[in-house]
Amino acid sequence: MSMAKPKAESEAGVLDRIVAAGQPGPEGELRLSVPAAEFEGTFRELFRGGARFITVFRAETPGLVWTGLFAFRGELLVVRAPVDDRAQMPDRGMGRWWPATERAILELIDREGAAAQAGGRGITRPDPDLIERSVEGLDVFTIPFGPVRSGIFEAIQFQIETGGEDVASLQTRTFFKHRGLESRFAGLRPEVAVHVAERVAGVAATAYACAFSQAVERALGVEPPLQAQRWRAIYSELERMACHLDVIAKQAETTALYVGQARFQILKEQVQGLRARLTGSRFGRGVVAPGGVRSDSLIALDDLSKAIDGIERDLHRDRRLFLGTASMTDRLVGSGHLDRALIEQYCAVGPLARGSGVSIDARHERPYGDYQRLGLRIVVHREGDAMARVNVRFGELFESLRMIRQAIDQLRRRTGELSMPLPVNGSGTACGWVEAPQGELVIWVEITDGVVRGVHIASPSFRNWALFDHAFPSDVLTDFAFIEHSFGLTTAGADR
Amino acid sequence: MLEWIYRGLSRGRVTTRYPRRPEHAPHGFQARVEVVHPEGGGPQLAALCPTGAIAVAVDGHVTLDRGLCIVCGDCVRAAPDHFAFGSGYETAARARAALIVGQAAGLDASASPLRPALAERAGGLRRSIHVRHIDCGSDGSEEWEIQALWNPYYDIQRLGFFLTSAPRHADVLLVTGPVTTPMRAPLERTWAVMPEPKALVAVGTDACGGGLRADDRTAVAAARPTAGGVDQVLPVDVYVPGSPPSPTTIMHGLLLAAGLLRPQEAAS
Repeated sequence: MSMAKPKAESEAGVLDRIVAAGQPGPEGELRLSVPAAEFEGTFRELFRGGARFITVFRAETPGLVWTGLFAFRGELLVVRAPVDDRAQMPDRGMGRWWPATERAILELIDREGAAAQAGGRGITRPDPDLIERSVEGLDVFTIPFGPVRSGIFEAIQFQIETGGEDVASLQTRTFFKHRGLESRFAGLRPEVAVHVAERVAGVAATAYACAFSQAVERALGVEPPLQAQRWRAIYSELERMACHLDVIAKQAETTALYVGQARFQILKEQVQGLRARLTGSRFGRGVVAPGGVRSDSLIALDDLSKAIDGIERDLHRDRRLFLGTASMTDRLVGSGHLDRALIEQYCAVGPLARGSGVSIDARHERPYGDYQRLGLRIVVHREGDAMARVNVRFGELFESLRMIRQAIDQLRRRTGELSMPLPVNGSGTACGWVEAPQGELVIWVEITDGVVRGVHIASPSFRNWALFDHAFPSDVLTDFAFIEHSFGLTTAGADR
Repeated sequence: MLEWIYRGLSRGRVTTRYPRRPEHAPHGFQARVEVVHPEGGGPQLAALCPTGAIAVAVDGHVTLDRGLCIVCGDCVRAAPDHFAFGSGYETAARARAALIVGQAAGLDASASPLRPALAERAGGLRRSIHVRHIDCGSDGSEEWEIQALWNPYYDIQRLGFFLTSAPRHADVLLVTGPVTTPMRAPLERTWAVMPEPKALVAVGTDACGGGLRADDRTAVAAARPTAGGVDQVLPVDVYVPGSPPSPTTIMHGLLLAAGLLRPQEAAS
């Protein structure tokens, strides 16, 4: 395979030079400026050196700058190349290093093009009736599945090329839900802009609010108080639990295990109800804000811990039943197999990567907020199939419960401020990152005179959807629903 | 398998009794924003809202448009004399104008007349109503809340609502999201193939009035990413505001759409 990594030591010299030339940004962030002509070359060196690509976009501050983000040696590497004008676009050929790069560059080029010529169609304005590839062969045809699908699902389209049963090839088309939200941030004060962040991917509202708030805090040099960091961790873990329980309930539904489905739906409803009692919103909205959290919890810590105990008791029994039901597990074992090498090529993140033996988790790689103190056991399974991804989620549910309990203990021991004021006319640029339920989420923020000027969102779903095209190596059409649910992604987050 | 059956039965009944008995929200639940004191507002109040839901008349009368309100609470925190969170779930309405609260009596949600055409249509639906959903650019949370209607807690099948995968079998179409450009044609087609009588329910603030969509007033119409609300594309029968509306609120909207609530119940 041409994507195989060469030995790291042969490149060590070049890489060390790259890293040595970098300027430390806010903590955990390394910044490197290169001329536009060397932008592509730097990508190549980083690819060879084993960096993980996150995103590429154009920033506006201080001038126009192509910006590439990488996870590299436990830090976030920001590669920046100043350019002269908007029309100047990075070379599409850069996609040869990581397939994820190509999609990110396509999106960048496409958005600029769409702004220039109104009504133009590209990947951000897909045509639902367009079959992109023609297929040839005996009884081979393309099923355009979506964007309107049976059931209550988000809009996305899969063009399935099939001979009737086996899935010969598949193309996932996103951006049916593109709402242009990144441009909505501009001109808002950070404490208002966080409402936009919460609505990029509604089911991961807390993760988006935390990532955005952390980016603002790092850009302006504000440290949120400890108590606020603990509450953020509790809210984030509850959100992860709701998302994971949702995936497990849907897995039970697709195998017609209806009592199991009902049980996990009830558990999810309990978590949602608990979030409503804690924050006033079933999705934990309106609480996390740049500087800290807006208000104290609406219920006592003892009530929270009692609720957590109840959920854990039920979860133990339901998990045991679920994993002991052969009609369920037989459908999942071996379905939707993803090779570890594929995960690395596509720079996939989250439970998807951890189900294929890749131990990446932003909470561990670059610990932020309370995760610097909580200590995390990363749940990894090597099998790479739908079952492994369910097992990762079960493991993380219990890990979340443990961390919530630990954070409650810490909250009990002391009281303190919940929020720090932001400087009124602060300026700066920085990244904020969290491990959202779907995987690592990075948000880049530019602030000028106390107002948000630009935002770029590297959502985990955008990167992970690309792998769906490769999730059917030996699976048939009837496995579609299991495999889709085992990914557990949001379309809203990918489309923005 | 027996163990599953035992497990299901042993937990007892969890289903809500709504709408026969009122559903009470937990303490502090932020279901909606109320105008608690509509008089004596200044123009600074309108500036508090990121979506422009607050309007202040020249005489200082304050109104709030729930079709635009994303329940962010910025106004409640900055002007607690005028605004407060309300925990009532029943915010769905049959007319767009009825979503504007703080108006003088007579124009409020309670007085909104049932559209005659809808009453006729709803009369034909009665107690076996098939529901179809289409996502036109929501943030994903509305889908969770609609899915929750079929979970054991809300169990909307007990009221005669069934989910159907074919628009040709559907009586009610639930639409989420502000209608993005690529979803406009699929939405129109889905609506067109549904048989009469039929009702269209806009679920969520994004669907009702556009919500926090990209500020595209300056852009060329064709280049705007969204239409800014379902009623810009198709006539809406019931509006369910909220960001996202909770399952009980969506249930309220569905009952309104099906004509299953008598006018006095609908008024509460």
